[in-house]
Amino acid sequence: MSMDDILEIENLTKRFGDVVANDEITFSVREGEIHGLLGENGAGKSTLMNMLYGLYSPTGGTIRFKGEKRQFNSPKNAIDTGIGMVHQHFMLIPRMSVLENIVLGERETSTAEPETGFRDRVRGLFTRERDRPRKRVTELADSYGLEIDPDAKVWELDIGEQQRVEILKALYRDIDLLILDEPTAVLTPNESRKMFETIRQLVDEGLTVIFITHKLWEIEQMTDRVSVLRDGELIDTVETDGVTQAELAELMVGRDVLFRLEKGAVDIGAPVLEASGLKAEDDRGIESLSGVDLTVQEGEIVGIAGVSGNGQRELAECLIGFRPLEDGRIEIKGENLTDANPRAFVDAGVSFVPEDRYEHGCAADLSVMHNAGSKTYRTDQFESGRYFLDYGDMAAYASDIVDGFDVRGVVDVTETPAGDLSGGNLQKLILAREMSRDPDLLIANQPTRGVDVGAIENIRRLMLDQQENGTGILLLSEDLDELLDVSDRILVIYEGAFVLETTPEETSKWELGMYMSTGEPPTQEPPTEIAEVSE
Amino acid sequence: MFSVDVSSRESLPRWVEYSLPLLTVVAALGVSAIPLAWLGVSPLQSYREIFVSNPTNIRGIANILVTTVPLFLAGLAVYLPLRAGLWNIGAEGQLFVGAIVGSAIALNLSWPAYALLPAMFLFAGIAGGLYGAIPGYLRAKHNVNEIISSLMLTFTATTFAGYLLRGPMQGEGGQSATEQLPTAARLPTVGHPRLHVGVVALVIVAVLGYLLLNRTRLGYEITLIGANPASAVQSGISKYKTYVLVFVIGGSLAGLAGIIEIAGVHGRLFEEFSPEYGFTAIAVALLGRNGVFQVLLAALFFGVITAGGTTIAVTQNVPTAIINVIVALTILFLLTAEFIKDHRLTISFDRSSGTGDRGMEEVS
Amino acid sequence: MSLAAGLAESTVRLATPLLLAAMGEIIAERSGVLNLGVEGMMLVGALAGFIGTIVTGSAWIGFFIGMGAGALLALLHAVLCISLKTDQVVSGIMLTLLGTGLTTYFGRGWVGGNIDGFGRLTIPVLSEIPIIGFALFSITPLDYLTLLMVPVVWYFLFRTNIGAEITAVGEDPETADTAGIPVFRIQYACVLLGGVFAGAAGAQLSLAFTNFWATEMTAGRGWIAVALVIFAQWRIWQVLVGAYFFAAIDALSFRTGGSVGDVLLGQEALATVANFLVNPQVMQTYPYIATILVLWYVMRQGNLNELGAPSSLLTPYSREQD
Repeated sequence: MSMDDILEIENLTKRFGDVVANDEITFSVREGEIHGLLGENGAGKSTLMNMLYGLYSPTGGTIRFKGEKRQFNSPKNAIDTGIGMVHQHFMLIPRMSVLENIVLGERETSTAEPETGFRDRVRGLFTRERDRPRKRVTELADSYGLEIDPDAKVWELDIGEQQRVEILKALYRDIDLLILDEPTAVLTPNESRKMFETIRQLVDEGLTVIFITHKLWEIEQMTDRVSVLRDGELIDTVETDGVTQAELAELMVGRDVLFRLEKGAVDIGAPVLEASGLKAEDDRGIESLSGVDLTVQEGEIVGIAGVSGNGQRELAECLIGFRPLEDGRIEIKGENLTDANPRAFVDAGVSFVPEDRYEHGCAADLSVMHNAGSKTYRTDQFESGRYFLDYGDMAAYASDIVDGFDVRGVVDVTETPAGDLSGGNLQKLILAREMSRDPDLLIANQPTRGVDVGAIENIRRLMLDQQENGTGILLLSEDLDELLDVSDRILVIYEGAFVLETTPEETSKWELGMYMSTGEPPTQEPPTEIAEVSE
Repeated sequence: MFSVDVSSRESLPRWVEYSLPLLTVVAALGVSAIPLAWLGVSPLQSYREIFVSNPTNIRGIANILVTTVPLFLAGLAVYLPLRAGLWNIGAEGQLFVGAIVGSAIALNLSWPAYALLPAMFLFAGIAGGLYGAIPGYLRAKHNVNEIISSLMLTFTATTFAGYLLRGPMQGEGGQSATEQLPTAARLPTVGHPRLHVGVVALVIVAVLGYLLLNRTRLGYEITLIGANPASAVQSGISKYKTYVLVFVIGGSLAGLAGIIEIAGVHGRLFEEFSPEYGFTAIAVALLGRNGVFQVLLAALFFGVITAGGTTIAVTQNVPTAIINVIVALTILFLLTAEFIKDHRLTISFDRSSGTGDRGMEEVS
Repeated sequence: MSLAAGLAESTVRLATPLLLAAMGEIIAERSGVLNLGVEGMMLVGALAGFIGTIVTGSAWIGFFIGMGAGALLALLHAVLCISLKTDQVVSGIMLTLLGTGLTTYFGRGWVGGNIDGFGRLTIPVLSEIPIIGFALFSITPLDYLTLLMVPVVWYFLFRTNIGAEITAVGEDPETADTAGIPVFRIQYACVLLGGVFAGAAGAQLSLAFTNFWATEMTAGRGWIAVALVIFAQWRIWQVLVGAYFFAAIDALSFRTGGSVGDVLLGQEALATVANFLVNPQVMQTYPYIATILVLWYVMRQGNLNELGAPSSLLTPYSREQD
């Protein structure tokens, strides 16, 4: 640790119950540098930064800021100490103006230096000073080239402008260290370029910046040094000039694992899914699919690799009718289901394992039985007269699939709420529900995320079995090992488009990692041995 | 400095879970004893009348059953949308609409009873259903908050009833009430002059309601949508259809409650015929939130209190408003009980300088 | 006094309780808490104010007691909704039931009593202005006070730092919390203020508008105040206009019989329709229908940023513990 380290992190650890999100992380940030933090989703970057910003409290380890040991109890605490953060999801109030958002919580009064006497506190509450702050904001904006109208309402601004407001929020409070969490995730290339200029200007004025990203070219362009996280551990901190993108990619995703599951030869048949020109927007109205074509055939497993947030969720939701298409066409087994509602897709034999088990995958308060039947209740399987359901049958069905898929923790199918099951078992239940109906097309979005190792193996086996039954499977996953293991074809999605189509035999983890992080073919040689820092 | 930390409970000791409803009631009655005592009335004596002597004589039983009918039907009118995750605050209005339409039919068609009564009930139900459909539709189509729309419609209906009863539907005597309904429009009684046959609705509707929610596809869809709308939609359930349907069915049940009160109890429609049944129904639905028969039990409970309250109004000279007090307190303790069920309160002492509320350690 | 002047004067005095209750409700709702207990709080304010005046002999002290009573009921609502995070709708309706029940029960003995409440305060010269002079300058002190409160409340909510923080809490408590704003404290304060205003509105009814107590004397005005807030899209000056609009309807409804239509129009059919439209009870439905129409219209547009409702209304805030 040198004298001009503004931030020193030593053995910082964060545990959530049994899960270790950050494991003994040690690195330091020099004053005035742009320090990159690189890692895949789930590597622990956000957790780490949230500890710096007072949103989480560390389970172990120390943080030293400007030489002093610190524990941050709240974001306000962190900001007052001199650490500001711009999150991926902005903390802005859309209905209030830019100026109001920036000034929120500061209780600006007409006295320039507020005292803390009672009278001043009252004045702080019951008066309002906006001219001086407006001037300051305009000055800050001008000196950093951040064009902004202080009186515009935030909801009227586009994403790039909103991000500028977030940055101004931090600058307004005289910070020394600014953390940017995936700042270009929501920007166009042009806006990103402007952002980088802004960052350089900030650093020229003396600010230190931590820059979190998964995009390798940004690391190369912007940072002085970069720390790489993988699976909650710090792999290494290197000088950016001394390392290639390929080497970074391998640090980020790890070595290729050579063993593969036994895959029987499967006959690939007619297309079950034919999608063309799919365009869709995300929840914020930004285009997230820019015209993709996709075909999945009977008995084929198509894997889609990509970092979260590049359009996977929107793609999956469009393919089950849950999200409206801006353009494009979807055919399931030859039937045109463009613009159809979810019911049509379910009835056409499409099954779906959503990314978020609790938000979309199940009704946590209802019993296992209720959840088990939610895709099949309209068939004659549980029919008992035209409008009636035979719950006895449904319970028996639920028991069957629970046994068949080894879902543990179910005391009584009709009583045990689905929310009581552990993450892995709930996932198995959802898979059981979706697979047991023998679908023609199964769309699985991150099916093994957050599932324990034993269950992961299990789930992959189940997918292979389903493939042998003739189901076409679309597997969206961030886990490259998984994709390489089970897919027949692999596509890489980047910023809403497919940038690579290949097979597991023809590609490797680092190549996929490169495409995932840059969207472009690697221009460098595959890496040779890289010494990994022992954990 | 001490701080109160609230954390979620994982599980509840069984005895607490089962006795909580009972404790709620006991607490409500306990606090209600204060106003009783204030007026110099013996709470124990009053409660004995309400819970023991009234339910054990024929007249009391008749009163209780008859009072339970609108409470149960209106309770279901709130319960059904609640199962789907929606609030029907408009039960009182739907009640009025049914009463108005049913009475209008009774006063204008001189049919014999076997034709008139079914017509009254049919149209009362339809009217209530249509009126209930409005908040359901607004919510389904435009995401208009159904609490506000159903509340506004309630007052629209009750106020408009005032107009009708002082105008086009006014009977002789110049009050805000209709004529006496013809005998053909009155529900026959059985066993006791106050016990009208409408009480069979308690059984019939309970069974039908149970079957609907627990045996039909629609009931399954309602349950699923109430538990998690997003995943229900992904399963292919139509949010629009379900939202409208629960309000239509609920509204028609409330409408039925309205006309049963007129045809069975009062014999004519007047402005104050409902002692806030539609609002008490909210408490009924909450207390019985686990199922149709629980709703019936809850309605019975409030029926006992309401009927008992009117009895002690006479015998102990207590204002009938005590009923509202007991009902309100029951809801209050119900809400607190819900909280206790889900959370554990710990009070901890910490010596941090309090720069923020985060990061405090839980002591217990 | 001419018809117009009398109408104007009634309107102003009828508007006062609506204004007070609605202003309190806006404050509470802007912090994210819906208060459906206004009717109950008004009633306890009316009864407590009445009894207080009789006991202490001073209408002003009675008035403050009324405010206190409203605040007590609001405290219950605050604890239930903010700390215990129970359902705001149910809690509000429960408090209305409780308030109605308690005041009917305890108020029985006070019905028929009579007090010297607030008399008129006539300002010379200004009150001679035709039509509106009487209405605006010869009313009770409470009416003046209420009118003065309107700009005060506006200033409080829209021109102070604390007002900005209240808005933030009602829009996005998580962001407000992150900015260091004391979310719970602000919500408590706003709900209590709502109760104070509601209690004041009720006390005005028994001390100034009339000089007696009658069972359920609020006659649904609390609910109209709730509707008024929505109708005015949570804006103060719109509330003022809306209150006068609703109060004018109320005032008119006392005065019209069935003959207005005949007088205004000769034709039989049109006269019937007109008579219908100005019928007292029919007119009393207008505030509620108007509110639904406003809500429907706004929601139809689809841009939720146009809807005046605070974005986190009805959602209890709890900090995620890690």
